[in-house]
Amino acid sequence: MLRQRPFLVEILTAIALIAAPFVLPYLGFTPTTINRILIWGLLGIGFDLLFGYTGLLSFGQSAFFGTGGMFAAYMLTETPLENTIVALFLGTIVAGIIGYLVGLIALRRTGIYFAMITVAIAEVFFFVEFNPLSEYTGGENGLPGVPTPNLELGFTTIQFDSNWSMYVFFAFWYFVGLVIALRLVRSPVGLLLRAIRDNPLRAEALGHNIHGYKLAVFVIAAMYTGFAGGLLGMMQGFMPPDAFMFATSGEIVIQTAIGGAGTLFGPLLGAAVWLYLNDLLQTTLHLGASWKLVLGIVFVLLVCFLRRGLVGAIADLYHMATREKDGARKVEPAPAPAVMASSAPAPVRAVPDPAPAGRNRAIDKSGQILQATGLTKRYGGVVANSDIDFTVDYGEMRGIIGPNGAGKSTFFKMLTCEVPPSSGKIVFEGRDITSMGVNDVCQLGLTKSYQINQLFERLTVRENLAIAALGELRGRFKLDLFRSLSGVPGLDEQIAKTASLVNLTARLNTPVSELAYGEKRRLEVGLALATSPSLLLLDEPLAGMSPQERVETVALLKSIAQGRTMIIIDHDMDSLFELVENVTVLQEGSVLVEGTPEEIKNNAKVQEAYLGGVQGEMA
Amino acid sequence: MVNWANFISQCFNGLVLGALLAVISSGLTIIYGTLGVLNLAHGAMFMLGGYAGWLAYTYSGSFIVALAAGSLFVMLVGVVTERLIIRHFYSRPPEDQLLVTFGLGIVFVEGVRFFFGSLSKTTPPPALFQGITDLGFMFYPTYRLAALGIVAIALLVLYYVLYKTRIGMIVRAGIEDSVMVDSLGIDVYKIFMLVFGIGAMAAGFAGIVNAPVVSIAPDVGEAILVQTFVVVVIGGVGSFPGAIIGGLIAGEIISITSMFNPAYSYVMLFVAMTLVLVLRPHGLLGTAGRE
Amino acid sequence: MAEFKSGNKGMGGISRRHVLQLGAGVASATFIPGLGTIGWAYADDKPAIGTWPAGSEGDTVYLGAAVPLTGTYAAQGADELKGWELAVDHINEGHELMKKFAPKIDKGLLGKKVKLLSADSGAKPNNAVQAEQTFINQNKIILMTGSTSSAVAVALNKFAEREKILYVAGISGSNDTTGKDCVRYGFRQNFFGQTAAAAIGPVLVKQFGKNRKAAFMTPDYTYGHTVTKSVNDYLKEHAGWEMVTNQVSPLGTQDFSQYLTNIANSGAEFLVNVNWGRDAVLSTQQAKQFGLLPKMTLVIPYQIPFLAKEVGPEITEGVYAATDFWWTLEDKYPLAKMFVDAFQKKYGYRPEWGAENSYVSFAQWARMVSEAGSFYPVDIIKQYEKGETIPSLIGDVHYRPEDHQCVRPVIIVRGKAKKDMKNDEDYWEVLEVVPGEGLMQAPDAFGCKLGDYT
Repeated sequence: MLRQRPFLVEILTAIALIAAPFVLPYLGFTPTTINRILIWGLLGIGFDLLFGYTGLLSFGQSAFFGTGGMFAAYMLTETPLENTIVALFLGTIVAGIIGYLVGLIALRRTGIYFAMITVAIAEVFFFVEFNPLSEYTGGENGLPGVPTPNLELGFTTIQFDSNWSMYVFFAFWYFVGLVIALRLVRSPVGLLLRAIRDNPLRAEALGHNIHGYKLAVFVIAAMYTGFAGGLLGMMQGFMPPDAFMFATSGEIVIQTAIGGAGTLFGPLLGAAVWLYLNDLLQTTLHLGASWKLVLGIVFVLLVCFLRRGLVGAIADLYHMATREKDGARKVEPAPAPAVMASSAPAPVRAVPDPAPAGRNRAIDKSGQILQATGLTKRYGGVVANSDIDFTVDYGEMRGIIGPNGAGKSTFFKMLTCEVPPSSGKIVFEGRDITSMGVNDVCQLGLTKSYQINQLFERLTVRENLAIAALGELRGRFKLDLFRSLSGVPGLDEQIAKTASLVNLTARLNTPVSELAYGEKRRLEVGLALATSPSLLLLDEPLAGMSPQERVETVALLKSIAQGRTMIIIDHDMDSLFELVENVTVLQEGSVLVEGTPEEIKNNAKVQEAYLGGVQGEMA
Repeated sequence: MVNWANFISQCFNGLVLGALLAVISSGLTIIYGTLGVLNLAHGAMFMLGGYAGWLAYTYSGSFIVALAAGSLFVMLVGVVTERLIIRHFYSRPPEDQLLVTFGLGIVFVEGVRFFFGSLSKTTPPPALFQGITDLGFMFYPTYRLAALGIVAIALLVLYYVLYKTRIGMIVRAGIEDSVMVDSLGIDVYKIFMLVFGIGAMAAGFAGIVNAPVVSIAPDVGEAILVQTFVVVVIGGVGSFPGAIIGGLIAGEIISITSMFNPAYSYVMLFVAMTLVLVLRPHGLLGTAGRE
Repeated sequence: MAEFKSGNKGMGGISRRHVLQLGAGVASATFIPGLGTIGWAYADDKPAIGTWPAGSEGDTVYLGAAVPLTGTYAAQGADELKGWELAVDHINEGHELMKKFAPKIDKGLLGKKVKLLSADSGAKPNNAVQAEQTFINQNKIILMTGSTSSAVAVALNKFAEREKILYVAGISGSNDTTGKDCVRYGFRQNFFGQTAAAAIGPVLVKQFGKNRKAAFMTPDYTYGHTVTKSVNDYLKEHAGWEMVTNQVSPLGTQDFSQYLTNIANSGAEFLVNVNWGRDAVLSTQQAKQFGLLPKMTLVIPYQIPFLAKEVGPEITEGVYAATDFWWTLEDKYPLAKMFVDAFQKKYGYRPEWGAENSYVSFAQWARMVSEAGSFYPVDIIKQYEKGETIPSLIGDVHYRPEDHQCVRPVIIVRGKAKKDMKNDEDYWEVLEVVPGEGLMQAPDAFGCKLGDYT
């Protein structure tokens, strides 16, 4: 929908912002409340990018709100600077710098630890504002006397000194902030942020420097927050020290949650509800001291009954309405993939050029693509792999088998640099990759599909494949914040090609969460393929499949094997032996034997140590 | 102000404060470890304990009765809260759990204000522990010494429950691997309800023990909540021994810093926490399981 | 969705430039209500300003109070609110006490009823400003009040200056409120750090002589630091007292044991506790637990409403404090008696000084309005600035035109032993009523520069 009408959201927002002053007062909103909602909404856009899109729950936004606001206020009250817009941007930049420094520390951890570090850092900022810097910040008194916004045009200066004229100023900046954020979420970076939210490890494994993107969005959120802080000072004529308090961070989280995270508009809506309730309970209903009790109860009820916030509730209602309307049309695409799946081998063979789109090096080269020497991995006292020597030639199909606990997955993890070996060396295409990161080796063309699906569950098949393809097309880190996804050259082709390879073309716009298991398995392989690897590792690609699905997947793997180098782990030896040219057998963390499938089948050691013991499991 | 007598005294203060933080934090940490819910209403539970104890004391005149009645009341509040509200949030994103417990915290605090007003209430210490004790190097309020003992006993009881009883085993197993417990055929929901109750009770108990030291007001739990988080993070989320060590470390940091410059004591606490997190990702005694 | 689609089709024809122009058009249209008010109506010598004249055109004028009803200052805030409520009632019913302050009122003010609006500030400046902004928008309030801390008072001072709406301070002890942060539109009735120090200092010296040792407990914000400095300066210069330690604690501290341990080891004979609100209650209780009291004499230079009630007479016995008002002054001052009686009748307890300050500051404002005969803020300010002698509950006072501070007596009290209490609220014995004139600093000593009238 967004693709077809690129400016629909922007235009509707502009209309709403223009209409608001004519409509909202009739609903009991005062002009200052409306202005406040815009400030919180603007700050919320940044927070939503961080939390709703990237999944980073920060309780430390007060640090940036206060810093940006205080800096702007200080410039306007204590220095000759009079241009409020310059002051706003200076505050924004300072907040961004602070955000960068805080991000360097806080982003070392995730989840609850990340949240706690942000709380701690924000508390330290409050203290610093309150005590050591009180000469500049006014301590507990804050900075009074902040001028109202103005716009210097050279020949004249426009003053935004009444509530409604300030509304124009704030609404303009809200609109600018929203347009920027919309561009951002539609950009490749925006897609990667959601990838990080859904599955950071896989995003990293697909060749993206997720730490870099997290830091970038953290800084962006800090800048939005700092800008909003500056606006607060101008709106009130006073920059309060409260901006630094934990309550500020808490409120933005609450408002975003009420409104709905991951929507950009959620925080605005949440702020409107929150501030409206504040006004209503206190100044309209005159509840006195018990207003907060009522607010608390209302809030708990909202959280209990609105699962994805107000925007989520509205979206659900909308879906319910539209589903009823064109229910018949919706049913249709569902059976299609079932048909496709059962006739899978046919279209796979029909693919004209299965060669990878990007890196074609594998085809023309000969010799060894991968050499591992003396690879050892110890976990505490347990040795998972010991002294493995392993080489693979260009264009080879290699199988790895071994009983459970033989160290196959650990071995793969070392080859893809997910875990560093305790000792040993890995050389890929003539380059020592032993100490590289997982995203670096993916960029070099070595990647893996996982034993347990590692997909981006909340995104569509197309978006999943795009995340994988972007790694190769854009490199590990690039801040193309304002480029649209469709503007990435070669992306659509790569997605289309990969989708047809793994037979998911008809499901491109389906969310992953709605896929059947077999489809998810194929997408898992597709993600690895879309990075155009020159060496592809497949960790039990047939795991958990029905016999029918196995037949199809083997055919699929055969077709994609042309022109690629692949290493496959699997327990299904019949299928594996059908696929590969050579087999390596691991036992208890070491190489037992290597040879062609025929040799392995007939090898006495293998039969004794492996085949005999796990007959039951293989069935 | 830096001299030996003062240093030892401050270490002692840190011990008393730390022991109190340890009890509250162990409640928070077992709830988080088992249920995966970070209970932002934990400070309110602490406060509720203080008020329940004060009320029981007002009617009975006995500190022991206050301690027992207050603890049981908060446990009941915890169990009911879990059953009616928290239970519906296990399948929801962590931020929803934060929000609902945050909201419940507001409701508890403002509910108490509604019924009991904003003026602070004082529960006197039991007659046995009134007055001041000469420790040789300093004079110390007798009740604080007693509180140290009461808290130590409480921690021992909690240790016994967690490590020596079947319920405790299940709880600890749940902290390590909740899926496993699930597959053992144990009614996980019952365990969760109990754990939430016990965790709340720990906070409530601490609230009563603290009431003769710091007179209670509706907001009494607010400041303690953030400190409790710091303790849990330093010690390692989900770790009972971690909560105790974290509590003592936090208490000592606050007390010893205040000897040099009181204004920096909380900053030092946060600096320490950040350092721990940067150097030891999962806290001093935490496991990699929960994030 | 159908409507959306068709609507969007229509939009498709409009270029973005058109939209921008449309936006600009609306923008200029919305300017008009804001800027327009300056243009219309009223004689040239009284152009519209703030909420004037809109706020006083109906038959009711509104006053807005932003007062902490939740948070650590909630108890003091609730008391203050009762003082304002009572004052507004008295204005509307033409109560005889109110007539002593403002003889020209007549069941209302200038023929209009007065209505008090209140909202919870949580003692946070930002919330206070937010609440007042809402009142201005919704009710066009003509007077603002509220504060239990100087942070809020200073914030509202500056806000009053910007909005050109009068502000009378609630409890605010910092020298800055009528010092470096003073404004043309703000007034303070109550005593403050400087006058408290100047009043309690001589009493201490008279009682305890020279060259004593005092430990200070100071809350870590401007109010605390200024009061500590004022008291310490006085005692040092006039009687050679020594500050042996100054324990600075953050706002909202619950456990004071570290600070008290430091004081216990300092060899002090006096404990000057500058903490306020709940911090004062807790620090005082714990000082007793640590045995510092009654070993040391406790001095509270800026008395906290309800302190004695919360900590009990066992602790306040023998404590010296400076305050704005204590109800036993009713024995000496008839107005005080009328106030205490009226308050007790309505609320069931005897008022503390927060309520007294609220009542008196409103009563004095009502006097200024009725004497000026106008709600025009500049007229009211000029009425205040005449510096006329006006009544308070404890004798005649006046406002200084230079800094808008009321020159009023400071009351020195000493805590009674429980056995000496005549009723359950008889906590303090008034030692002295120190006249205000001698306590005040020079008007410009704290850097006060009032702003413009318009």
